[in-house]
Amino acid sequence: MTSRLNVPDLAFAAFLVALGALAFALAGELSVGTAAAMGPGYVPRGLALIIMIYGAVLGARAAVAGRLDFPETAWRPLLLISASVALFAVLLPIAGLAITSLVVVICAGYAAYDVRLRENAVLAVALAIFAVLLFVTALGLPIAVWPW
Amino acid sequence: MDLFANLATGFAVALTPANIGFCFLGALIGTLVGVLPGIAPITTIAILLPFTFSLPPASSLIMLAGIFYGAQYGGSTTAILVNVPGESSAIVTCIDGHQMAKQGRAGPALAIAAISSFVAGTIATIVIATASAPMSWLALKFNAAEYFSLMVLGLTGAVVLAHGAPEKAVAMVLVGLLLGLVGIDVNTGAPRMTMDMAGLGDGIGFVPVAIGLFGIAELAVTLGRPQERHLLSLKYRDLWPSWAELRACAPAMLRGTALGSVLGVLPGGGAALSSFAAYAVEKKLSRSPERFGRGAIEGVAAPEAANNAGAQTSFIPLLTLGIPGNAIMALMVGAMMIQGVQPGPQVMTAQPQLFWGVIASMWLGNLMLIVLNLPLIGVWVSLLRVPYRLMFPMIVLFCCIGTYSVGNTVFDIWVMLLFGLLGVFFYKVGAEPAPFILGFILGPLMEENFRRAMYLSRGDPMVFLERPISAILLAMSLALLVVLVLPAVKKKREEVFKE
Repeated sequence: MTSRLNVPDLAFAAFLVALGALAFALAGELSVGTAAAMGPGYVPRGLALIIMIYGAVLGARAAVAGRLDFPETAWRPLLLISASVALFAVLLPIAGLAITSLVVVICAGYAAYDVRLRENAVLAVALAIFAVLLFVTALGLPIAVWPW
Repeated sequence: MDLFANLATGFAVALTPANIGFCFLGALIGTLVGVLPGIAPITTIAILLPFTFSLPPASSLIMLAGIFYGAQYGGSTTAILVNVPGESSAIVTCIDGHQMAKQGRAGPALAIAAISSFVAGTIATIVIATASAPMSWLALKFNAAEYFSLMVLGLTGAVVLAHGAPEKAVAMVLVGLLLGLVGIDVNTGAPRMTMDMAGLGDGIGFVPVAIGLFGIAELAVTLGRPQERHLLSLKYRDLWPSWAELRACAPAMLRGTALGSVLGVLPGGGAALSSFAAYAVEKKLSRSPERFGRGAIEGVAAPEAANNAGAQTSFIPLLTLGIPGNAIMALMVGAMMIQGVQPGPQVMTAQPQLFWGVIASMWLGNLMLIVLNLPLIGVWVSLLRVPYRLMFPMIVLFCCIGTYSVGNTVFDIWVMLLFGLLGVFFYKVGAEPAPFILGFILGPLMEENFRRAMYLSRGDPMVFLERPISAILLAMSLALLVVLVLPAVKKKREEVFKE
């Protein structure tokens, strides 16, 4: 895919405008106050406005800055790392640390292109044991180890 | 002598068995993680941050500081042996260090890196101890307006030293400032931009943001790149440099230390800038500049001394003014605040044990590194042989558990994931996360001082220019920005970062 625009710069500019707009809307219900007695909304709305304008300027510049494609994404590591983090968040409260660690490590392991099935399984078991011993037994973190 | 009395106080704290242990542990873990490729010191600190929270404040900071310079050290080891800079300040070490290793002189290169770091660390510790008192005195003259202007200067410095395009660094600072404001407003108690999420009441958690941006994002990016590592074999026999080499290095070490000590204090400064500058100076001063890039031992000694000195003196603005000069110091501020220590000039007078204990531990940590690492180089090298695929799942798991353990809530895990994805996006569009984290930490502080200054001046923004110290700080920021857009400097800067 070749484009005629500087896509990374445009994407960043779009992000800035969107974030600024979101923050501006969210801070809309807060009172702004005066310069001498600022309300809670004064600085956030000011910043949001600056970010939106700044983003727009960057975007305008990117449109004429010469072409550059968005760098290719390595989807496999990105998706699997994200998935393993999400699994941790979902599983930990219901399954406890031991099972969660096992699942997270197995899932994360497949983010590498050179993963090996058996090696990864052994690693997962070892790390699950290690995590429980280190964090619960040694450091005493209040985390349930088992689902029951 | 006040200085010695103070240092004595410090050593009394740092030399308790528990704190020696934490210092050792920090230096060890720091080196261990620093050696692993693709994990910068800032990532290491972000990941290990939560595990120090259960410690008393002094021990926690001692351990974090240990992790910090341990990681620096580990970065140099991989730079020399594998030609992979563990972090940006080790890039220069790669140039001559790896050449030396190729010529079979890896041992002396590693030893001289360690010795230079130690010498620089010792001198920098004394610099910190002597410079802190006058800095704190100055800080007591600071009012809201001065603090605001100082933070402006700090953020400008971060922009100037960011690697990517400066205009993107400016945007990242602004975004950081904005997101730092999420949460309950201290003055009025009104929840701001929380989208009615209870987890955001105290603001966006600092730990999940840092681990997401520097841990998760970095993993996803690193795994997408081909992993190439050419490991050189190392002979122990010739670990020690010869006398002639040591003598040749001594002036380079001292020059590097002096340069690093000065540059480290500058806002936005620190290790990376110092090592670049020191290398350039040595090459200029050398009688045989053509040896540089082909295994000149001074080319290892000077930047290693400079980056260690710079890393340490960057603690000065943090400890005396409460203003972090770079992203790693921003993490330290986060750690201090979670410990209930408000960074600022009052730390020195109100908690001398904490203040001087941390300073004394820096020297101790440097000593440990030299004692610990030279004999252990073999272990670090074998660690490099462990394939990355066996290491990163552990990092993912530790990121998750670490983030969770701060507040025992999975909400923070989702925040971490979000910022991990944002971090990948930032990487793709060429925006650096370091200015962001600095803005994020400084956001609430800056707003508070801005509001107070404007309140005191009854809404007149001229207050920032009428007060002399504030005006000078703002003028310095402006000068930095002007310099940045000058075409000549712009070109030079691009060259430096390209090297």
